[in-house]
Amino acid sequence: MRQVPRTIDADILIVGSGITAAMMAAHLVEHTTRSITVVEAGRASTPLRERTLARERYVAYGESPWKSDHLDDQNAFGTTWGFSPSMTVGGLAMHWGGVSPRYSPEDFRLQSLYGVGDDWPFTYDDLDPFYQEAEERMGVAGEQGPVALDPRGKPYPMPPLPINYNLAQLQQWAAKSDIATWSTPSAKNSVARDGRAQCQRCDTCYPVCPTGAKYTPDVTWDALVQTKRVTLLTETLVRRLVADAKTGRIVQATGNRTDASGEAIAIAAKTVVLAAGFVWSPHLLLLSRDSAHPEGLANRSGLVGKYLAGHRNVNAYLRVPMPLVPGINVQHSLVSKQFMRPPRSSRYLRHDLRVWESSVGREPRLRDDNGELLMGDALLRDWKQRASGATARVRAYYDVLPDRESKLVLDDAHTNRFGDPMPSVGFRDAPVSAALHAWQEEQLRALFTRMAKAGGGDILRMENSANDLGQEHPAGGCRMGNDPMTSVVDGWGRAHDHENLWVAGAPAQVSASCCNGTLTFAAVGLRTASAIAREGASAT
Amino acid sequence: MSRTTPSGANRREFLISATVLVAAAACTPGTDATIVTDSPRTQPLRDADFNPVQLSALADTVLPASLGTAGQRAAVTAFVAWCDGYEPVAEEMHGYGYADVRYLPADPVPAWRAQLDALDRLSQRVHHAPFASRSLAERQALVAQATRSVRGERLPSPLAANHVAIALLSHWASTPRAWDLALGVQVAPMTCRTLDGATKKPLPIATMPDPGART
Repeated sequence: MRQVPRTIDADILIVGSGITAAMMAAHLVEHTTRSITVVEAGRASTPLRERTLARERYVAYGESPWKSDHLDDQNAFGTTWGFSPSMTVGGLAMHWGGVSPRYSPEDFRLQSLYGVGDDWPFTYDDLDPFYQEAEERMGVAGEQGPVALDPRGKPYPMPPLPINYNLAQLQQWAAKSDIATWSTPSAKNSVARDGRAQCQRCDTCYPVCPTGAKYTPDVTWDALVQTKRVTLLTETLVRRLVADAKTGRIVQATGNRTDASGEAIAIAAKTVVLAAGFVWSPHLLLLSRDSAHPEGLANRSGLVGKYLAGHRNVNAYLRVPMPLVPGINVQHSLVSKQFMRPPRSSRYLRHDLRVWESSVGREPRLRDDNGELLMGDALLRDWKQRASGATARVRAYYDVLPDRESKLVLDDAHTNRFGDPMPSVGFRDAPVSAALHAWQEEQLRALFTRMAKAGGGDILRMENSANDLGQEHPAGGCRMGNDPMTSVVDGWGRAHDHENLWVAGAPAQVSASCCNGTLTFAAVGLRTASAIAREGASAT
Repeated sequence: MSRTTPSGANRREFLISATVLVAAAACTPGTDATIVTDSPRTQPLRDADFNPVQLSALADTVLPASLGTAGQRAAVTAFVAWCDGYEPVAEEMHGYGYADVRYLPADPVPAWRAQLDALDRLSQRVHHAPFASRSLAERQALVAQATRSVRGERLPSPLAANHVAIALLSHWASTPRAWDLALGVQVAPMTCRTLDGATKKPLPIATMPDPGART
């Protein structure tokens, strides 16, 4: 291993290459002339040309389609529900499902509207143009919902994925419960766009789209690297940020290659952006403690790693009296935002609602009612009878407000090859959410029961997330705010304590709404990118 | 009301089963069904080396006769190719609900091969004749006897099958073609299809040419 690190100079350093980083780099290339270096600890995984075969092996055997997409000694511990060890070019969004709802306007004003949680330092309207930009850059196919529930400044860039034969019936069924539903917005090409194919309903969006119809960040990186405006350093782990003790400015990032060489690397940058997700961003800040910052960088408030946010769900399979045919497009669904705007007078419960076709209860059985093994034509007869029914799946993510002690800490019991402690995460509800938890889930179960009865069906099975395992679509750890004593970064993502350090996307979020978060992570990151670009422009 | 656990995490189960995957995923009752497409277009990693006569007789025993000889033969060929292509202890897809990296199970084929041979030995003991030579009813009774300890509500995924008879049946039942037969319409789940056809009611299976028809 070299004793003197190889040093690289960059105007803008982005740590991480996931979807937020990709969106930001694309924005910065178009809005600044500054050089951009992106550092990724992993390597590029399965290229598009190999994804058809990778999908086949995934479907046939359950093999991961993403080869070598993680580092064996770089992982999180604790309640890691919703976390993936993926560390690769493109990050977790290489295997996301592409579901791309926006948060609702209420999410940004929870304290003002409902007296719970905290307001964000900006509004939905402030974020709308960045939502739009994210939707344009990744390519989101969507249907405008009722404007009051689903406001947007401009139309979706692509028409929605079709309401298929099954979903059309389920839409009518939901309407019997006075629930308005529409096609779930998805980062999948409903038409050929940007050199990528139209969706072919392969139904393996998660974890791998074989055609490239679903957006993955490698598409953006391939294009950006070709412009030569972006340098993508793979297999390079940033292990510390170094701050000037007097000015607080970050003067360099240091780390090592994660290949066999383990070579030491130092990157000197004028602007440093952490876009490494809700785990690795606060983890790096905590690791970077020094004599001037004994609790870690950007941590005057003591909130680095705190207020980890997410949500939970209640899920149900319902027997419904209609001729559904499982398999038409299993991963596509209906969505409703009707329950994301509850009356202020009611007890606090906000949730989304998704509706899918399902094959639960329609599968072949192992044994008949007498316990006899089913085989041959007897099995097929029994299966045909079971398959003639119909099952709907409904699920609601509900809002969970984060506690200050919902946190990530350094865990000395687990270290990587360089001796760095790994992160341990532990989610905790704010007292208001903890008090409402049982009642909220009961309300959702009652809703599903009402939906089943209104449609002339019944409940096959209901379940809820295990609340002691973590939360879904996790975010937070470097929350935004206007007060340096109650937040880590300001409303644009700039660290209160370090003028050239920015934290982007998921970790900066104040709360995690009650729907899939990726589009919002990207939009928040783009808002940060716009501030960085604006600052660069004013400096030149 | 069930509660999800790390090994049966509902979101992950859904995502896996919505993709209608198989393999080592636990076959928890109540999750979406498993479907495997026909064997991957990949080089075989080994030769499962089943006794072809015994395997053919087993197929004739457990697969629907309505598939016809050609259909059953095709199912056997696909099953053997699937076995030949399996890579033991390959990395599983890591997803939601856990952070550790997990691996697929050991090669099930040696046990399945031994079970196939054991079916023949059982036939010799009971009927003093090879398995393949017995009537359908006798063969089905032998299979039922050999699998009497196999429990579960739903036909397991092929990789979760702990008997070769269940594995062969399960592999066939998890193909898009089998699902279409059960549903009676042309859906071809888990195959890549244009969006255009998604809004229409699927056509009845009767209008499809049946590659498994007896010739």
